[in-house]
Amino acid sequence: MSKTERTLEEHELIQRIEGDGQGAFVESYDAEAEVMTINMGPVHPATHGVLRLFLELDGETVMDCKPMIGYLHTGMEKECEDQNWRGAVTIVTRMDYLAPFHNEHAYSRAVEKLLGIEVPPRGVYIRMLMSELNRLTSHLVQFGTQGLDMGAMSAMFYGFREREIITDFFEMVTGLRMNHGYIVPGGVWEDLPDGWQEQVANILDVMPGRLNEYQDLLSENPIFIERTRGVGTITAEECDTLGVTGPIARASGIDWDLRRDMPYEAYDELSFEVPTQEQGDVYARYQIRMAEMVQSVALLEQIVDQMPDGDYKNMDPKLTPPPRSELNRSMEAVIHHFKLVTQGYAVPKGESYFAVESPRGELGAFVVSDGGTSPYRCHVRDPSFYNLQSLPVMAKGGLIADLIACIASLDPIMGGVDR
Amino acid sequence: MTTITHETLSSAEWAARAPVLRDEGWILLDLHGVDRLGLTEEDERGRFEIVCQLLKRADKSRMTVHVAAEGNPPAIASVTRVWGTAGFAERETYDMYGIVFEGHDDLSRILMPDEWEGYPLRKDYDVGKIAIDFKPQPFLQIETPGQAPTIGESEVGTDELGQIKQDDADE
Repeated sequence: MSKTERTLEEHELIQRIEGDGQGAFVESYDAEAEVMTINMGPVHPATHGVLRLFLELDGETVMDCKPMIGYLHTGMEKECEDQNWRGAVTIVTRMDYLAPFHNEHAYSRAVEKLLGIEVPPRGVYIRMLMSELNRLTSHLVQFGTQGLDMGAMSAMFYGFREREIITDFFEMVTGLRMNHGYIVPGGVWEDLPDGWQEQVANILDVMPGRLNEYQDLLSENPIFIERTRGVGTITAEECDTLGVTGPIARASGIDWDLRRDMPYEAYDELSFEVPTQEQGDVYARYQIRMAEMVQSVALLEQIVDQMPDGDYKNMDPKLTPPPRSELNRSMEAVIHHFKLVTQGYAVPKGESYFAVESPRGELGAFVVSDGGTSPYRCHVRDPSFYNLQSLPVMAKGGLIADLIACIASLDPIMGGVDR
Repeated sequence: MTTITHETLSSAEWAARAPVLRDEGWILLDLHGVDRLGLTEEDERGRFEIVCQLLKRADKSRMTVHVAAEGNPPAIASVTRVWGTAGFAERETYDMYGIVFEGHDDLSRILMPDEWEGYPLRKDYDVGKIAIDFKPQPFLQIETPGQAPTIGESEVGTDELGQIKQDDADE
């Protein structure tokens, strides 16, 4: 197999560099050799949460790797069944906690499909604005942790510096820095506050220069390249059979992005490129994310320019509580408000699936309604859950230090994996 | 333009159809269970089923496949040999619904602890009715000032705040 040849070449290289390739050869492994099985995690700084890996090691070489998950399982899908349709937004937003807007977005669109309602143009654009900013914050965390795991601690500081400006904006709009519950079925919960243009303009002024700084910091850093080039490769076929989506699939040459290929909201009105790479290694995945951040900044500029006026949510009184001012003078508004707060709205019987392109791949929500005021079943297809299955493919035959690089490049969010 | 199709299959049909679908270019993106207890009265479908989301990139189409799980315990043929995606997904469905996937190499609990009883996402699973065993606190006694508290055998009365009651004789 070509994969074995590749890893053998790597090991020969390592042997030349170290002058002592003991245990580094996959070929020299035999059944009588001592194989050590160890646990890595669930509490380990490099596993990005509570991921536990069951490793079979021959010296420094990973012979087998089995991800064990469930340490953050809190039964969120079951909890959704106890909430009303609006309340379940506050549960799903906590699943993939680095991409809260994408969780809400997928769920809200799935519910809107059942309701058969439209979102006004301003609501659509606000959703895209928040989603693209969220993509930046998520990729910045990945950039920082990837650098940290490769020994470049300053990447963490730089990444979180820019993330801070954007989370400040989230706080200004939604009141919260994470887990917003902002995108709801019908639109978004609140209109953008006064002065949002200046805040976004500030972010867009700062970001391109900072992205260039990152390029100087890591992209041409010889140590970083040495640690990531040719490490943790996965082919397009393996991605397909394992259901791997998002930046990992695009780094292996799969030219697929839901925003472009199955456009939702108003992504078809905007122009952007989908970056792809062919190598499928850790460095390619890193480059994809860097390129996606550049594209997100370009998208944000168009979104701000084209932001329409008008309603930010569907103003159907059966769906959206009336404005505060109306409660003082309209009995009907009080009744609608009371019904919505005490019961919520009913959703017609049926089921629907809707997927959005989250920073980690296809994030889909599947909801079933029995005609009542709470979801009968709410399932979220979290990209991290499926992407994690590809870790053994990437790690087998490599060094344990390469495994750390693979985990960082997978960017698994355990809140989404375990739900 | 995106096309979405729906299909409802039996377990045997699903096992036969899956390799054909894979060869046509469909990839499995998601597989999860649904417990239709309470929804089954109106239609002929059984209680347990799995829902699979498939995607074909070449013509930008999606397919949703429902597969009925019949028997006790409910069982469905595994598709792990066709799509690796199903490995985790079928384990999760087994964990949450008790649907057995015949032919899965490592069908074990994935999110819940191994010794967990019951299947949490079933509609008849009692939420919050698991008995939690609260053991009473042992009573602490202090005989001389400055002494570390010792656990006493005797029944010392406590007041409603949990403070040890002082007898008149001790004072």
